[in-house]
Amino acid sequence: MTTQPSDQEIISTVKRFSSVRGQGILANLLAFSRVLKDLGLRVGLSQVIDASRSLEFVDITLRGDFYSVLLSNLICEKEEVALFDRVFDCFWKDITLDEEPMETIELSVPGSEESQEESDGPGGSLEEVVAQATSQEEDRTQDRDPFFLPTYSPRESLNSKDFSEMGIEESRAIGRAILLIASKIATQMSRRKKRALKGDEIDPRWTMRKNIKYGGDIIELVTRKRRIKKTRIVLLCDVSGSMDCYSRFLIQFMYGLQNELWGVETFVFSTSLTRITHLIRTKDIGNALERISSSVQGWSGGTNIGHSLHTFNREFAPSLVTHRTVIVLISDGWDRGDVALMEQEMRNLKRRCYKIIWLNPLLASENYQPLCKGMQAALPYLDFFLSVHNVHSLVALGRTMQKLVA
Amino acid sequence: MNPKKLSIEKIQEALRSRQYICDRSLATVVYLSINLGKPVLLEGEAGVGKTEIAKVLAEVMQTGLIRLQCYEGLDASTALYEWNYPKQMLRIKLEEVGKGDRRTVETEIFTEEYLVKRPLLEAIQSNGTTPPVLLIDEIDRADMEFEAFLLEVLSDFQITIPEIGTIRAKQRPYVFLTSNRTREIHDALKRRCLYHWIEYPTFEKEYEIVMTKHPQIQTHLAKQICAFMQQVRQMNFYKRPGVAETLDWASALITLHREELDEKSMEDTMGCVFKYREDLHHLKSEVAGKKLNLEGIFKDPMEFQT
Repeated sequence: MTTQPSDQEIISTVKRFSSVRGQGILANLLAFSRVLKDLGLRVGLSQVIDASRSLEFVDITLRGDFYSVLLSNLICEKEEVALFDRVFDCFWKDITLDEEPMETIELSVPGSEESQEESDGPGGSLEEVVAQATSQEEDRTQDRDPFFLPTYSPRESLNSKDFSEMGIEESRAIGRAILLIASKIATQMSRRKKRALKGDEIDPRWTMRKNIKYGGDIIELVTRKRRIKKTRIVLLCDVSGSMDCYSRFLIQFMYGLQNELWGVETFVFSTSLTRITHLIRTKDIGNALERISSSVQGWSGGTNIGHSLHTFNREFAPSLVTHRTVIVLISDGWDRGDVALMEQEMRNLKRRCYKIIWLNPLLASENYQPLCKGMQAALPYLDFFLSVHNVHSLVALGRTMQKLVA
Repeated sequence: MNPKKLSIEKIQEALRSRQYICDRSLATVVYLSINLGKPVLLEGEAGVGKTEIAKVLAEVMQTGLIRLQCYEGLDASTALYEWNYPKQMLRIKLEEVGKGDRRTVETEIFTEEYLVKRPLLEAIQSNGTTPPVLLIDEIDRADMEFEAFLLEVLSDFQITIPEIGTIRAKQRPYVFLTSNRTREIHDALKRRCLYHWIEYPTFEKEYEIVMTKHPQIQTHLAKQICAFMQQVRQMNFYKRPGVAETLDWASALITLHREELDEKSMEDTMGCVFKYREDLHHLKSEVAGKKLNLEGIFKDPMEFQT
């Protein structure tokens, strides 16, 4: 679902289809479904056909029943009901369904003057739009308010050494922790079974089949065992300025995970999104570093998580993200972009994937609370919100992965 | 009840007579589903009566209820059919003794007699006067593989068994799918269904439900219970209580011969409403912090309808 369109958007979309008015219920129904589609709801043609078939069974002069029929046929998501209601009220409000037979229902054609009135007339739609716009403006000013900026220092109240000051020893330890995590994910057991030479239970169907050649006597047993679920991981790393002190660790992490596991895809983002899977598919981390820094734009720049996620959802998610995909987002959540967009994209992402894990290096700081708007918007869609700032936290991440398996 | 002579009002009335109180929109969806032969997808919080409506409808239509409880790893052999292997083996052994004809045996052990029918096949093959109600419960618990497989069955209402052939439904069963939304159901499956979200009931509806299910209850007690539930559902609990909990609680209080609700009896019976330790703690703190106005609810429940 998209962000809620304003009243004005709804009215103007409805107005675009005003030509069908007076052409009978089917034309209106089709137009109505088009309006819903244009406003971002997913409505399939088969659903529209079923809706029109359904109308034969109810008395459409009863507005409540008419509404129920359209709703149950065209919508299949609770979150979409609110928008549907608004469009329904707007689209069908001029229509009085009286006792006349279906085909001859007269639908009043809203004249241009009348609809002009509509847009700023009763219902306070214009005021609402203005109010919305001002509140958005306020949001933005609040974002810019220096009071909201992080008063954060990486050494603040951290008990163990931070990744920001990591040496060779630590990077070895990180490597080991990553291996642990990787093996946890890679050996996730599915509840589905496959045939196997040494499985734990007998597969009767295949045992029978295999033993037909012995005249039905059971000589060979076919067994089955649990399949290993191949979990795909998509890493989305924030490499904006605020994450600078962690970037060395980040690269290590991305590199480590991708080279230990099957099916890891890696992306970095700041103001835009770059896929770097192919750049770090190598055994030589030194070269990988060079290649990344030369090809990623906006390294150490600003952050626009919403926009980056939008790009990801549109271009990559359809082919990369399935119900078995774990999304690992690494970011401090300081977002300078549109919060509404970010929330919407998080929702879309959540809908596609298996789990979302957000790793936030700031989370380790005692004084840190996820107050910034970006983080707030994302929180409801996270399955795990963990800290990554030192090796211990990585071990904790490993444990979380184990939970995912259970 | 004759499916051809149904109307929305009749369905609502019939469900009500079997103690299922539903609003007109749900009755409309059920009515459409019967007429269109389209499955219904019911979503809603736990304990709002998603499963119940299928059971009650089966009673109303005087037909069988076939239930398929979903779980992760549910596969075709548990949902559709399985060959009865022991029986097949026995037959083979018997034929060996009697020097039977190999070809006849081969064809005969793959007939319906040797088939173990699982819920989906059973629902499709049923040939009573009225089609059965097929309840596919908690579809969100099954995995994507099963969902895809279900898609095939629900769109054509036919099942192909390689050894026998394709079995077509003589009459489409009334299909109800329920989901608790622990994960998203695939769009393709959703599109083949009529969708209905069951909300928590309003005060009036819940009161009516309690009075229908427990006619012996004191009206004041019923009002107190419902007012309490309405308030609690607006608060931040891990698991908000559903109608099932309301009814459990009501019957507990009736068993204890309570005619009115007071703080003591509420505390004693809270286990019926909240099933998590954290929630019980949370309730205590809300009561202590006066966010939940118990006295008010007990004294004048009608004031706390929303």
